[in-house]
Amino acid sequence: MREDQNKTPENKQQQLHITSYKEHFSTLAALLLLTVITVAISVFGADLRSLSVFTALLIATVKVIVVAYYFMHLKYDTKIYTWLVLIVVVLFVSFTVLTSIEYLNR
Amino acid sequence: MEHTAGFSLPNSGHNRDAEASKMGMWLFLFTELLLFGGLFIVYMVYRSLNPEAFLLASFELDVTLGTFNTVVLLVSSMTIAMSITAIQKGNSKLSIQLLVVTLVAATVFLIVKYFEWSSKIHHGLFPGQELYASLPPGESLFFFLYFFMTGLHALHIIIGGIIIGVVVYRTRKGLISSEKYTLTENAGLYWHLVDLIWIYLFPLFYLIH
Amino acid sequence: MTNTALSLNYLQAKKGIFSWIFSVDHKRIALLYLYSIGTFFLVGVTLGVLMRLELLNPGKDIMEAQTYNQVFTMHGVIMIFLFIIPSIPAVFGNFFLPIMLGTDDVSFPRLNLLSWWIYIIGAIMALSTLLFGDGPADTGWTFYAPYSVKTGTNVTMSVLAAFVLGFSSILTGLNFIVTIHRLRTPGMSFMKMPLFAWALYATSWIQLLATPIIGITLLMIVAERVFGVGLFDPSIGGDPILYQHLFWIYSHPAVYIMALPAFGIISELLPTFANRTIFGYKAIAFSSLAIAFVGYFVWGHHMFTSGMSGPARIIFSIMTFLVAIPTAIKVFNWVATLYKGSIDVQPPLLYALGFIFQFMIGGLSGLVLGALAADIHLHDTYFVVGHFHYVMFGGTGFAFFGAIHYWYPKIWGRMYNKLVANIAFFILFIGFNTLYFPMMIVGLMGMPRRYYDYLPEFHLPNMISTYGSWILATGLLLMLGNLIAGSRRKREHIDRNYWKTGITLEWQTLSPPPVSNFDRMPVLPKDGPYDYDHKPEIKEKED
Repeated sequence: MREDQNKTPENKQQQLHITSYKEHFSTLAALLLLTVITVAISVFGADLRSLSVFTALLIATVKVIVVAYYFMHLKYDTKIYTWLVLIVVVLFVSFTVLTSIEYLNR
Repeated sequence: MEHTAGFSLPNSGHNRDAEASKMGMWLFLFTELLLFGGLFIVYMVYRSLNPEAFLLASFELDVTLGTFNTVVLLVSSMTIAMSITAIQKGNSKLSIQLLVVTLVAATVFLIVKYFEWSSKIHHGLFPGQELYASLPPGESLFFFLYFFMTGLHALHIIIGGIIIGVVVYRTRKGLISSEKYTLTENAGLYWHLVDLIWIYLFPLFYLIH
Repeated sequence: MTNTALSLNYLQAKKGIFSWIFSVDHKRIALLYLYSIGTFFLVGVTLGVLMRLELLNPGKDIMEAQTYNQVFTMHGVIMIFLFIIPSIPAVFGNFFLPIMLGTDDVSFPRLNLLSWWIYIIGAIMALSTLLFGDGPADTGWTFYAPYSVKTGTNVTMSVLAAFVLGFSSILTGLNFIVTIHRLRTPGMSFMKMPLFAWALYATSWIQLLATPIIGITLLMIVAERVFGVGLFDPSIGGDPILYQHLFWIYSHPAVYIMALPAFGIISELLPTFANRTIFGYKAIAFSSLAIAFVGYFVWGHHMFTSGMSGPARIIFSIMTFLVAIPTAIKVFNWVATLYKGSIDVQPPLLYALGFIFQFMIGGLSGLVLGALAADIHLHDTYFVVGHFHYVMFGGTGFAFFGAIHYWYPKIWGRMYNKLVANIAFFILFIGFNTLYFPMMIVGLMGMPRRYYDYLPEFHLPNMISTYGSWILATGLLLMLGNLIAGSRRKREHIDRNYWKTGITLEWQTLSPPPVSNFDRMPVLPKDGPYDYDHKPEIKEKED
């Protein structure tokens, strides 16, 4: 097996980035904080309950972005991964929007 | 290969290409996301058609256990991310330790899940059981989706655990090092996906109020 | 370097069945796919001919109504999941994508082998319903709930087979995307990639992002059958139309999995036989992506009469018209490529022209169905059957045959009889149109599809159609016989660039290619893949 790398522009070996332990720990702290918030709103936030689905999904989405951006290394990877993820998200959201249009107008 | 002794292409599919492996893993994660995506669409439609029933049924679930499991998964996500940092810095021993912590977290998650499931099954809420059949419209759908989605998620936890086990084994054998740690990275990506899905499952099933 | 060292091509390199079924060489895997897909195609054709035979006269001819239901379901499942979805990507994509990119294999060769094995397992599962359980499914290939949940036939196994086959499709798509991103030869940017590679790129994304949805939907059908959940049962709050949504979220994009690679084939055939550059390279390349993208949002046009809400129907109808635009762009560019080309009429070109003619009829009849008002009348009539076969068989099927005839000398290093190939084409062409055009007419007259019987006034078109099926079958047998006879001929020397005017990289290597595809570094044309003004000179032998 040869170890040589491709030399076409897109295939340039990107710089290696090592995420520090500290950054990982801060990420976890942020995620735990968001978890506490979402549970608190759901259990104690009587006034906010009408917003419950919306806020719960919003907080979940923020958490997902944090996981993808830091833990899954999107922050340091080539931008193509971020674009691909965005395309997939747009696609899935479009599915749900089109389906919602159908059901909300029944 | 021996037949083309004189000439070889610079860009061979048989070369080791860490970037290709990572891209393959991401593409695979997309398919996983859409697999669950189909279920989330089903959930969305049925919840909007039966809002009251979903609310009532969700009271059967234990928020405390759900929150505990969420924390467990988030911590395990951090430990596996850290184990990649460790292997990048050449510290295989720490990397293995962090992976083992991740495995322990996975086990704890599954044990808690087991108790949650068995209490529901004990009540007869599993599809096909007696109480399930007598549930009012909508509630049975909630429990079907609960079992189907968390079950599929648990299956992914088990698969993820096996992959992490392989990583531990290969790291111990010295096959994974600071030079060559694609497998650790890909196991990490997969494990984070399991986490991502749970992040949505948790509020959608446990936190309906 | 000596030529004797290279004289062992991929076909001769190793011997024995195991060197084939466990080969990780993309060329051998492609041939494995070709032989297995070809076999299933013949099974599907047989079932189709039997169906036509049953419909020769009103009333019962050769089979019971229930058998007929199972036969058309098997025909659909085999043709769609076993033949047309894998056909071009798995056979010609596997064989020629790496060669066209100037590399020696796909990015994950072992995964490639695995997808063939998964395909075979899925195929065995699908065919096992013929022998085991309570007979093959009788639901139609769409497995619509709630009937698919209630019928006593072996739906579970058919559905699981489709699930497994989906896996194979996903892995192939994943492999191709990574290959295209990582293994292009130095100097080949995305905009210098052959159009077949572009088409496969778009196709692979659909395979990757649409197939999981059907996977999970089919699992829900299984869960419903096993546990009796009642998931799509209105009496417990479920909704049978949701099944249709989920099914078509995959299955409409799947239509483009079937069609896009065929577009890629045509974009390769035309420059070669017109001996000039393709007209509108970028337009063709990007229209593939546009079709793939817009194609995700048109699934509702299969459900216009299912009871969807009004606004949704209007949106889906508009989106359906939108997706016709990039498709039309392709057709115009193909015709413009032929204009003022120095055209060399060879069997592959005939298939390409047949494709354009039939695909246009299929595509335009698709617009009739996409129009909301017309569809209310035509939904679930034979017009839909005619439309679908014009697009899929007249389109993709003919492109597949064209591709075999085009790359035949490259794959096997032998040649078929061109005269017989031409005759076979004309028989096929006549048979095809005799078979399917009357379906459109009888559909407009109001004959519903999937019925085993029909009213006497539909007799004549049905009779013509059945006669057409015999002509078509004759043409197929002649074509197949000619191809097989060609492969049994004595091996002669086949030039690297057999058609003289081929310009993509596969024509720079030996016929058949060596195990690692190239015996010397492939040279790219100066300005893009179809730059006939700066065509690299291809020497047969090293100096």
